Amino acid sequence: MEGLFSILNTELLVATIRLSTPITLAAIGATICEKSGIVNIAMEGIMIIGAFFATVVAYYTGNPWAGLLAGIISGGLFSLIHAFATVTLHLDHTVSGAVLNILSFGIVRYLMVLIFGHPGTTNPIPVGLKAYQWAIPGLSRIPVLGPIFFNQTPIVYLSFVAIIFFTFFLKRMKVGLHLRAAGEHPLALETIGVSVYKMRYLGVLISGLLSGMAGAYLSIENNVSFTEGMTNGKGFIALAAMISGGWHPIGAFLAALFFGFADALQIRFQIIKLINVPEELFIIFPYILCVVAVAGLVRRSRPPKADGKDFMIERVE
Amino acid sequence: MNNLRIGKETLLLAATVVLAVIGLILYVAAYFWGFFLMAGAAVSYYFSLRIKNGREAAWEDVRGFLKKLSIPAIGIVVAIVFGGLIMLLTGYNPLKAFRALFYGGFVRNWHVSILNATPLIFTGLSIAFAFNAGLFNIGAEGQYYIGLMASTWLGLRLGLPPIIVIPFIFVVAGALAAAYNAVPAFLKVKTGAHEVITTMMFAHIARYMSPIFIRANGGDPATSTHAYVTDVIGENTWLPMFRDFLPRANYRLHIGILIAIATAVFVHYILYKTKFGFEIRAVGENKDAARAQGISIGVNVFRALLFAGFLAGLSGVTEVLGLSHKMFENLNAGYGWNGISVALLAGNNPLGVIFTAILWGALDAGGQYMTRTTQTPNSIVEIIKGVILFLIVARYIYTVLGGKLKKRRSAAVKEAK
Repeated sequence: MEGLFSILNTELLVATIRLSTPITLAAIGATICEKSGIVNIAMEGIMIIGAFFATVVAYYTGNPWAGLLAGIISGGLFSLIHAFATVTLHLDHTVSGAVLNILSFGIVRYLMVLIFGHPGTTNPIPVGLKAYQWAIPGLSRIPVLGPIFFNQTPIVYLSFVAIIFFTFFLKRMKVGLHLRAAGEHPLALETIGVSVYKMRYLGVLISGLLSGMAGAYLSIENNVSFTEGMTNGKGFIALAAMISGGWHPIGAFLAALFFGFADALQIRFQIIKLINVPEELFIIFPYILCVVAVAGLVRRSRPPKADGKDFMIERVE
Repeated sequence: MNNLRIGKETLLLAATVVLAVIGLILYVAAYFWGFFLMAGAAVSYYFSLRIKNGREAAWEDVRGFLKKLSIPAIGIVVAIVFGGLIMLLTGYNPLKAFRALFYGGFVRNWHVSILNATPLIFTGLSIAFAFNAGLFNIGAEGQYYIGLMASTWLGLRLGLPPIIVIPFIFVVAGALAAAYNAVPAFLKVKTGAHEVITTMMFAHIARYMSPIFIRANGGDPATSTHAYVTDVIGENTWLPMFRDFLPRANYRLHIGILIAIATAVFVHYILYKTKFGFEIRAVGENKDAARAQGISIGVNVFRALLFAGFLAGLSGVTEVLGLSHKMFENLNAGYGWNGISVALLAGNNPLGVIFTAILWGALDAGGQYMTRTTQTPNSIVEIIKGVILFLIVARYIYTVLGGKLKKRRSAAVKEAK
C-alpha cells in the first residue's frame, strides 16, 4: 500500500499534463471540426505530418520555434486535402480520413529516407522546445497547482490558450456560431448567405493546425527527434476524448487529462513494478480505458446534428 | 432445339470455370501461360452470355465492365505519372525505377507479390464486408494478430493429420478473432460506441498482447527470459505448397492464395445471393428503409462485425500455417491497415478485392526489387498507393472535371455560333 501512495505525487500530475497535451490539442481540433459537420479520423496522419516537418525544420534551422511553426502549417496544409475531399468532392468522411492516414505514412517515410538517409528515427535536433520551459513568476509558486500548470513548456501553455480561445470561439464569436450552424443545420446557414463550404473548410483547417501542433509537441518538445509510429494511436484517443468530452473544448481537455493520467499511471507502475506482471499489460491499460470511456459516455453526449453528413449545394443558373 | 441451347450454355459455363481455375492456379505459380487459359475462360463466358441474353446485351455487359475499369485505370496511370514526377524532382530516374518496379512485382518476384496478397485478400474482405453494412472495421490489424496467435497456439499443440487439423485451425482461429471483435460489436449495438475508435483501440491492445504470447510460447521459459520468437508449429499443420504439384513453382509459395480467392468468391456469394447478405447490404445502404422492412439493425451490425473479425483472423492463419510457421514480434505487421486500401480500392466488392490485393502485393514486392536494383527508396510506392487510392475513392472528382469540360465545350460552341 505504501508503494501505491508513493506514486501519487505532484510528479505524476506533471507527467499527466505532459502526456495529455497532444491528446488535448488534437481533441479540441476534432471538436471544432465535427462542430462544422466534418468527421475527421485523419488526426493521426496529420499529427505524423506535423511531427515530421517540425523536426525537419528545427533540424535545419536549429530553431525549434521555426520547427513549431512548420509543424502547425504543414498540419494545416495536409488537412486541407481532407477538406477538399469531403467538402468539395463529397467523399465519405471516414474514407477520406483513412486514406490520409495511409498517405501520411508514405510521405513521411519517403521524405525521411530522402532527407536523413534511413527510415525509423530522424537525427536529433540541436535544441528542443523543452529547453524553453518557463515558470510563470508568482503563479508557479502556488503549491501543487503551480508546478503542474505554471511551470511548463511552450506548447503546453499554447494548449491552455487553445482551450480558452476555442471555448470562447464556439460560444461567443460570430464565426464560431456560423461554424456550429454548418454542423447543426447547414441549409439554414446557407439560407442566411453564409457559405457552408467555407465554414467546413475552416473547421477542418483548425483541426489540422491543432493536430500539427500536437505532432510538433511529440517530436520537438517532448522529444528531440521524430520516430515512425510515435503517435501510437493518439489521434484516435483524441477522437475518444472528443466524444467523452461531449463535443466541447473543456470537456475534451478533461477527457484528455483522464487519458493522460492513465498513461502516466501505467508508466509509473511499469517503473516501480508493484505487481509482477508483463509490462505490456500496463501499456494496454489506457487503450482499455479509452474503450470504456467511449462506451460509457457516448450516450450522454450528443454529436452535432449534421455531423458526417454531406452537404451539396445545387446551384440553379 | 431449346434443350440444345441450354446444354450449350451450361457447357460454356463449365468450360469457363474449369479454364479459369486451372489458368489461375498456373498463373499464380508463375506459369504465366496460364494467362491464355484465363483469357479462354473470359471468351467462353462471353459466349455463354451471348447465348443467354443475345448479342447486344452481352456486348453491353462487356462495355459496362470496361467502363467500370476505366476509373481505376485512370487513377493508376495518374498516380504513376505523379510518382514519376516526384522521383524526377528528387533526383531518381523514373523510367529505370518503374521498369524495376513492374519487372520485380509482376515477373521476377511474382511469388512475393502473391505471398503479400494472400493475407491482404482476407483483411480486405473483412473490411469490405463491414463496409457493406455501413461499418468501418478499421482495427482488422488486431484481428490479424489474434489469428496469428490462435493459429500458432493451436499449431504448437495439435498432432492430428493435416486434413483434419488445418481446417480445424482455420475455423477455430477465425472464430477467436470474431469473438475478439464481438466486444466492439457488442458495445456498438448496446451503447453506440463508434467502431472506428473501439476496434482501433482493440488493435493496439492485440498488438501489445502479442509479445506476452510469444514469450509464453517460445523456447524454454526456465532458460530464456525474453523470447522474441515462438517455437515452430508442427509440420502436420503446415499448408501444402504449390511445389507439391507444380515443380517449377517457388519453394515458399503456399496454397493460401487459393483459399483466399475461394473465400472471396464465397463472401461474394454470401453478400449478393443470401438473405444474410441482403440484410447486411440493406442496413448499409439505408438504415431507416431496412428497419421499415423489419430488418434488425442491431443484429446485423453485430453479425457483420463478427464475420469481419472472422475473415481478418484468417489472414493471420494463412500467414502462420503457410509462410512463417511460427510467430515473432511484429510479424508482417500492416496487413490490417493495408486491407483498408485494398477494400476501398475494390469499391468493397469481394471479387474486386482479389485484384486490388494482388496489385498492392505486387507494388510492395516490386518496390523492394526496385530499391535493391536502382536504389530508389521503396516508400515512393507508399505515395503512389496513396495517390491511386485517393483518385479512385474520390470518384466525384471525375464528375467535377467532366462537368467543367462540358461547360467549357458548350461555351466554346456558343462562341462559335
